[in-house]
Amino acid sequence: MVLQAEHNFLITGRHDEVNRQHYISRLRMHILKEIGGGMRKAFDPKKTEKLSGGENNLRKKVLKSNYGKFWSTMMVSCQDMVWESAIPPIERAQPELNKRISKQKNKFSKLFLNPDLKIPNYLTAVDIHRMPGSYHTERSKDDASQGALYDRGRFIYNAGQAGPFADGISRTMAEYISIKWPNFYPKKILELGCTIGTSTVPFVNKFKKSQVHAIDISAPLLRYGQARAEALEKKIYFHQMNAEHLEFNDGEFDLIFSCIMFHETSRKALPKILKECHRVLSKKGMMMHAELMPIKHLKDYDRFYMNWDAYYNNEPFYKTYTSLNPSELVLNAGFRKDSVFEIAIPDIDRSTKSEFNEAVSNPSVKVKKTGRVGEGVKWYTFGAWK
Amino acid sequence: MEEEIKIKPVNRGKRPFFFDDPAIDQLIAIIMAMSGELSVLYDRVDTIERLLETNGGLKREDIEKFKPNQEIEGERNVRRNEYISRLFKIITDEKTNLTPHNEMKDYRNLMKDLDKT
Repeated sequence: MVLQAEHNFLITGRHDEVNRQHYISRLRMHILKEIGGGMRKAFDPKKTEKLSGGENNLRKKVLKSNYGKFWSTMMVSCQDMVWESAIPPIERAQPELNKRISKQKNKFSKLFLNPDLKIPNYLTAVDIHRMPGSYHTERSKDDASQGALYDRGRFIYNAGQAGPFADGISRTMAEYISIKWPNFYPKKILELGCTIGTSTVPFVNKFKKSQVHAIDISAPLLRYGQARAEALEKKIYFHQMNAEHLEFNDGEFDLIFSCIMFHETSRKALPKILKECHRVLSKKGMMMHAELMPIKHLKDYDRFYMNWDAYYNNEPFYKTYTSLNPSELVLNAGFRKDSVFEIAIPDIDRSTKSEFNEAVSNPSVKVKKTGRVGEGVKWYTFGAWK
Repeated sequence: MEEEIKIKPVNRGKRPFFFDDPAIDQLIAIIMAMSGELSVLYDRVDTIERLLETNGGLKREDIEKFKPNQEIEGERNVRRNEYISRLFKIITDEKTNLTPHNEMKDYRNLMKDLDKT
């Protein structure tokens, strides 16, 4: 497991606290790979496919078994342990951390907050991922504690599998775009749902001459993200904005991207966001979104396995989202049929150069595993050219 | 003086349980937390051993200052993984086929066989 890349605002903890966090990462991987792997064997889709009678029946059957019970209860406990292990050092670091963040310079990155922005219900109704306070909660004036919690907590959750900067998906996308379309050089780039900007930075690194903007609804995440970008000397314009109503001009951006965001919106918000993408994209501009694999590509067991999070990990739109057809949604947003794509891209850190290049020459949505960290992961993406 | 911040769930909702008796879910949560504390203690011993080996003595603050590099972290992760595997072996061991103690027919038959042959 790689260690998390440190920066001026990262709060890890004391000797024992950090070791507790690292243990929880290992425990989570064990639950996913060993216990989850055993559960998969016990309910092997090849044997049960015909008997399972669909995802819902299979879920009932698995959750009646000891495997299903142990795996599920350990998943929920471990999820809570992840956040709880990150919290005490952050509580201790406050309010000094907030002061340091509000006093840091704006030499590289800029922050534009909108205190009147209404946070949509789909992000406030539950603590998403069981993270205390979800994305948006502010606990004092100029609070950035939620950003610190997200930065450290997500790294513990990922067990470092997205690299020291927790940016594996975004690095995968940026690399893919630059190899697949070498003549496409976006002057202005926009990321939707950027949280603390970890996924924004790889695009700054890859497209050095571009102007990069990033939006999110959460002020505490953006405050932290801007300070983090400043510490890493990355030039990013952060805006507090709802992707359903982009406050940008028509045709302003050449590239719009997002990393696993849409499943945390809602049935009505999703098409609005895609229409906004179409509006603010320039002629010959492109959008690419990494997301969960649509359920239609998966067998019953994987459907059960993936949608488990919808039921028990506070992901209330997840199940509806995975049942939708991204290409159809993109078409309905005004994009041309011949420009729509769905591609599964091998994770940049867990594939060979030839595997990666194969996905560039022969793009497809075929995957063995997707969406959860593990060996041989591919990231499902969809998008279109304007 | 500014107030300290407390980070607590706002809208986490209810905690689902999966076993027939929620006390089992609670017990598993306790075991998981306890397993973490033992691992933390092991890492602390490991830190002390490394400091003693290198410096021949130590102050308490040395422990707090000790930051494992990637190599030491790798060694610790091997130990953590093995420890977790031993701890939760009964769940993952494929050969473990839990059977009610009074329904172990094959074994009872073997007992009878060996009594005769």
